[in-house]
Amino acid sequence: MDQKTRDELLKLFQGKLNEAMKFYLETCTRCGVCTEACHVYASMGQIKYIAAYRHEIVRRIYKKYFKGRGKIWPSVGEARELSEMALEELYEAAYSCTGCRRCMVYCPFGIDTQMIMSIAKLLLIGAHTEPEILTLLADTSVEKGKSLELFKEGFLTGIKNLEKEVVKKWKIEAGETAIPVDVDGADLLYVALAGAHSIVPAAAIFNAAGENWTLSFFEAVNFGAFVGDPTKTKLILDRIVKEAKRLKVKEVCICECGTAFRVMKQLSGKQPFEVSSITEVHSRYLREGRIKVDKSKFKEPITYHDPCQIARNGGVIDEPRYILNRLSDDFREMSPEPKYNWCCGGGGGLVALGEDNLDFRMKSAKVKADQVQETGAKILTTACENCHTQLSDLNSHYEMGVEVKFLSSMVADALMQ
Amino acid sequence: MSEDIKVDKVMDLKGMPCPMPIVKVSKGIKDVEVGQVIEAITTDPGALADFPAWAKTSGNEILKTDQQEDLIKFYIERKA
Repeated sequence: MDQKTRDELLKLFQGKLNEAMKFYLETCTRCGVCTEACHVYASMGQIKYIAAYRHEIVRRIYKKYFKGRGKIWPSVGEARELSEMALEELYEAAYSCTGCRRCMVYCPFGIDTQMIMSIAKLLLIGAHTEPEILTLLADTSVEKGKSLELFKEGFLTGIKNLEKEVVKKWKIEAGETAIPVDVDGADLLYVALAGAHSIVPAAAIFNAAGENWTLSFFEAVNFGAFVGDPTKTKLILDRIVKEAKRLKVKEVCICECGTAFRVMKQLSGKQPFEVSSITEVHSRYLREGRIKVDKSKFKEPITYHDPCQIARNGGVIDEPRYILNRLSDDFREMSPEPKYNWCCGGGGGLVALGEDNLDFRMKSAKVKADQVQETGAKILTTACENCHTQLSDLNSHYEMGVEVKFLSSMVADALMQ
Repeated sequence: MSEDIKVDKVMDLKGMPCPMPIVKVSKGIKDVEVGQVIEAITTDPGALADFPAWAKTSGNEILKTDQQEDLIKFYIERKA
């Protein structure tokens, strides 16, 4: 690595060194409490997957360039040069971590591995060694924001074709629109994903609840966050914020996508609208009696996978349980409890890497497969697209014999007209 | 297959979860030579906005979009 490249990467590193990050980088006592916390280590048993080991790869570079002892006496200061080899280790650490933050719950100092890995991801971007597909997906989202007029007509045509599917789930009155788009003054802006499964059930439930809603032109998922690019994360987020402000909505409801929810909830700043996950909205409709569901619809035992970014990192824990207890008399909790739930193994952009890392994703999430099977449930439901994909892959790989379903689809299928 | 476009590779992306249609087409386009065409078949309504944005970003060209009742077919020429 030439000096110019190293200097540029160290500038990126320095830009991440706020007080919280310095605390995370200087506090670890290597107590080992995090050892068993990572699903990758728990499943595969390799030291490199322990949270503290991942931290150490970043921490040693920090010591070399940002701490006096590391600069003067690197061998004693456990300092490490930023080199091509170090970048390879940073890649391995960052893209085997799903950012689930289970280790943070166990750590006595609350050290945030996801935050530390954000340094690794940023350095990889700076060195142009990040996963190319994640950057392409982020750039595609940014492009949609820049050139909405070019893509608007195609999107509206696609949405129009879906309306008959919505009406099959919930009949609407003549003159009503099954999927309203671009409604100025709507109360709620729903931000979905590209697939019909993310739009049709949600639309049926909004219509059943009599919600004054409108569908966003943009997809919810933030690939800028997956690849760890703060600038693109903000650009992708701002498309939705601007749309919400233009339409003067009171609430932005994020579809079943964990990262999208956490980014919108925690990074959008103070806005003139509330941010909700679709699970919170459905729970609210049930509590207020705005929708009713048929409890006899699902007869098999059900368990629920808490998406890390929605539950542990987003605080939405009671709401899915409220829904599930109205959908079934046989809802079975996984063990351990939601705060300590095992990650599905697909977060942090790993699912989006596709088949390239399928083998790793399956091996590293063995504990998740075991956790699901211990419940004896036949239906495994969740509220995140990433988790759904990963759990479906695990179901096939480990022959778990469950049916993987989206929670919103179950609510829509059980709606009572 | 579109009558006026010679297709070199067909990709069935129907019903795939987010973001697999774009992930698959990004890889699939590299399996054909520059100047060759892939036919990508999807059911995602959002693809009508996502695919043109992806083509612009990746430097490829959508020659034609054929929208049927429940299917959307993109004819994409590899340019880069």
